[in-house]
Amino acid sequence: MFRMLEPLPVAALRRRCDPARLGFASTAEVKGLEAAPGQARAESALAFGIGMRREGYHLFAMGPEGYGRHSLVRARLEVEARRREAPADWCYVYNFDAPHRPRALKLPAGHANGFREAMARLVEELSAALAAAFETDEYRNRHREIETELAERQERALNDLGERARADGIALMRTPSGFGFGPFSKAGDGVMEPDEFGKLEAKEQQRLQESIGRLQKELGDLLHLMPKWRREALDKMRNLDREVTRAAVNSLIEELKAAYAALPRVQEYLERVKQDTLENAAVFRQAKDGEPPTLFGIPLPRPEGAEGPFRRYAVNVLIAQTGAQGAPVVTEDHPSHAALVGRIEHVPQMGALVTDFTLIRAGALHRANGGYLVLDAAKVLTHPYAWEALKRALRARTIDVRSLGQELGILSTVSLEPEPIPLEVKVVLVGERMLYYLLHAWDPEFAELFKVAVDFEEDMPRGADDDALYARLVAGCITREKLRDLDAAAVARVIEQQARDAGDADKLSVRVQGLVDLLREADYWAGIEACATVGAAHVQKAIDAQIARAGRVRERLQEHIVRGTVLIDTAGSRAGQVNGLAVLQLGDFAFGTPRRITARVRLGSGGVVDIERETELGGPIHSKGVLILAGYLAGRYAPSRPLALAASLVFEQQYGGIEGDSASSAELYALLSALAEVPLRQSLGVTGSVNQHGDVQAIGGVNEKVEGFFDLCRARGLSGSEGVLIPAANATHLMLREDVVRAAEEKKFAVYAVRSVDEGVALLTGLPAAEVHARVEARLAEFAEKARAFAAGGRKPWQPEKKK
Amino acid sequence: MAAGEEEVRIRRVVACFAPGRVARPELVAALAREMQAEFLGLFIEDIELLRFASLPFAREIGFPSAELRAFDLAALERQLRAQASALELALAAILGPAAAGWTFRVARASPVNAVEAALAEGHAPALLIPPGGNVRAARRQVKRPELTPAAIKEWLAAGTPVVILPE
Repeated sequence: MFRMLEPLPVAALRRRCDPARLGFASTAEVKGLEAAPGQARAESALAFGIGMRREGYHLFAMGPEGYGRHSLVRARLEVEARRREAPADWCYVYNFDAPHRPRALKLPAGHANGFREAMARLVEELSAALAAAFETDEYRNRHREIETELAERQERALNDLGERARADGIALMRTPSGFGFGPFSKAGDGVMEPDEFGKLEAKEQQRLQESIGRLQKELGDLLHLMPKWRREALDKMRNLDREVTRAAVNSLIEELKAAYAALPRVQEYLERVKQDTLENAAVFRQAKDGEPPTLFGIPLPRPEGAEGPFRRYAVNVLIAQTGAQGAPVVTEDHPSHAALVGRIEHVPQMGALVTDFTLIRAGALHRANGGYLVLDAAKVLTHPYAWEALKRALRARTIDVRSLGQELGILSTVSLEPEPIPLEVKVVLVGERMLYYLLHAWDPEFAELFKVAVDFEEDMPRGADDDALYARLVAGCITREKLRDLDAAAVARVIEQQARDAGDADKLSVRVQGLVDLLREADYWAGIEACATVGAAHVQKAIDAQIARAGRVRERLQEHIVRGTVLIDTAGSRAGQVNGLAVLQLGDFAFGTPRRITARVRLGSGGVVDIERETELGGPIHSKGVLILAGYLAGRYAPSRPLALAASLVFEQQYGGIEGDSASSAELYALLSALAEVPLRQSLGVTGSVNQHGDVQAIGGVNEKVEGFFDLCRARGLSGSEGVLIPAANATHLMLREDVVRAAEEKKFAVYAVRSVDEGVALLTGLPAAEVHARVEARLAEFAEKARAFAAGGRKPWQPEKKK
Repeated sequence: MAAGEEEVRIRRVVACFAPGRVARPELVAALAREMQAEFLGLFIEDIELLRFASLPFAREIGFPSAELRAFDLAALERQLRAQASALELALAAILGPAAAGWTFRVARASPVNAVEAALAEGHAPALLIPPGGNVRAARRQVKRPELTPAAIKEWLAAGTPVVILPE
């Protein structure tokens, strides 16, 4: 009599959390944790990355969604940011030398708005002071003096010429468009008549004409001098204007310069403002809200917010750290190109788009400059050109505001090239691990810029004291979410569920989002029942409701099986047929379901045909598992003779793709059963992969698989013979549902931890493994002998006999 | 403004215009409206200039272009007609075409004679604005007996406005 493998003890099916050992009655007594424990590696990397001020040490926080990456990163950054000083303010101002390249001005934190207001006040004061200066009698008299001087100079020169002409008997005449010279009559009563001129001697006529010619040349020379005199007069007037302006402007601007004495670039800018006001004093003398500019008499609309000619003295405050405590921590949820590096807006004017330095807008890099910027990696990568812009800014350590249109060369509108602003920022990208590895593999710049990987754990060890530690995390979530407190039993139930979520009895999931969702939903159910405290029943209700909401497909599948549409036996025995167990993942809900696996054998060429692979429904890992079976068979039963076997394996009624090798042990049992012609117990489900030596290896989703088979058996009525074979290596992963555990306690359901194919064969056949192996060996020997006989007859055994 | 002018109410403004020395008509007209005085715009076609244009070798030197060009009587007369017409239109636009109390006249004579005749036909006190004169410049005041051809010639040359007072 051989000894059959014993089922796992009930205690091994679910590692319970004892509420009594938690050490509190309610979470109200517990000091909550701010962040999930078990992230020592990530925290250490975070601390290093934040503290490391060298180039290229930006961070990539990687891990799946919902594990508290954003909140942990943000919390650590905020702590660090509070220790640092607020960074500088930044403004854009007009560039008097190159208007299309606005200048960037750096001011101490919180001073930018003050500077903007001071400049606005300066313009107002300049308008008033200059208007007053140009209204003084002194200015008017000096202006008139210059005008009179010019007029007199011209008149005097013309009079002198007229006198010289008169002495020669010639009159200087003023014509409608200039001047002319004509001879005086001999009678002295004006210009000579043509008749009188005709009567003159030819010699006299010639003399007069020669004199007139000479005078005309002199007048021509004189008139050529007049524009020069006018220019000289204009220069004098301009100098006078500058003198008057300087007197008014100097005191006002010098006062402002004194206020910003410690900032050389601001000083330089104010000096240029002074020069510009001196050169454009006339602008200040015009009314601020006077006639708008016109084009062919059509008034030109001014850009929005424009203040006409004074706009050039405006200050565009890009970043103002007014009232800021510490360095900024910026999270940009929409990291488009423009949202990152800023943008240049345009306003329509007469059908054209125009812009100036006041329309430059800050991006997230500006706002985070001197501090920290947190970005979602996937969003940065999916926004066109955002990733390139981010890398360029980090590499150049400057922020260059350029529109996407400019970068791509598709914008024909006149635009600006603002002076780049120095950038000192620590960027933290948050994303999936896959993104990190892809970027590392395919983008050489990524490794240079993001040297610090902050790798978040998905679970934490569940040692003796870890349940209590986890209870503190639960308490912290409750406080943050403002939920009802949980009693100890409820916390214990939550902890068990988190172990189940981790898929391991010795681990606890640190997926904070899932934990918070569970707590919120348990709080909801407690509220429905008007309970002040959340109990274990409310937690269980929340879990059950989650499963029920997601369980439509699972129920339909089970219904098809129970009604016999999908053929799965859970009682009796049959050769070449076994119940494999599959896991289906639909959204964030996974469940197990049994699948019938059948095997047929005959004399053949030694191959095992995987029908799933032949029909291209099986994935490569599944195919690998099947090929291993051929290796096992050949190695075990036919090491020194041909394996004259043709076998086929199939997942019955499987119409979709299948992947993974967790069914390879079940497939092997079906094959051996078919070869040995020994029936297998249909009340058992099987999972586990197998190697060429016949060792059963660990698989994933063990809890779902066990529960899937249990649900079907329970629906048909448990007889006590039902159970599941799992790999022994998966025993520590068991965190089965309460109803499964209860059934095991009542000896209605069993879970067997199998180490080898031999143990599985014995359980499934009820025979010693050696006996089954002997039958297989005998069958294969028979096949080999027949094959040899056929070969002696000149034809291959699997070929049909030719008709004579 | 001359001292004591406040006491004198100007009843007539005689604004002289000459080719090449046309004061800004809107300023002159505005002054007349301001004074609520009768207005005479007198465009003087200088007889000397016409005689000069008849000379076979007459040339005009443009101002400020300094370009030397032919100058004949027919062309001059066309220019004078055009200037007079433009001036009348400008004045009419400001003073109102139907408004009473203003006239425009073209006089072909020597400037002194034309001004003397214009001043003789009206009532004092009158304001004489010489061609090209500064409307707002300080005004000289004279009494009617001082209204001699020599004096008029001097006023025209100086270009300053003159207020002619009754005896």
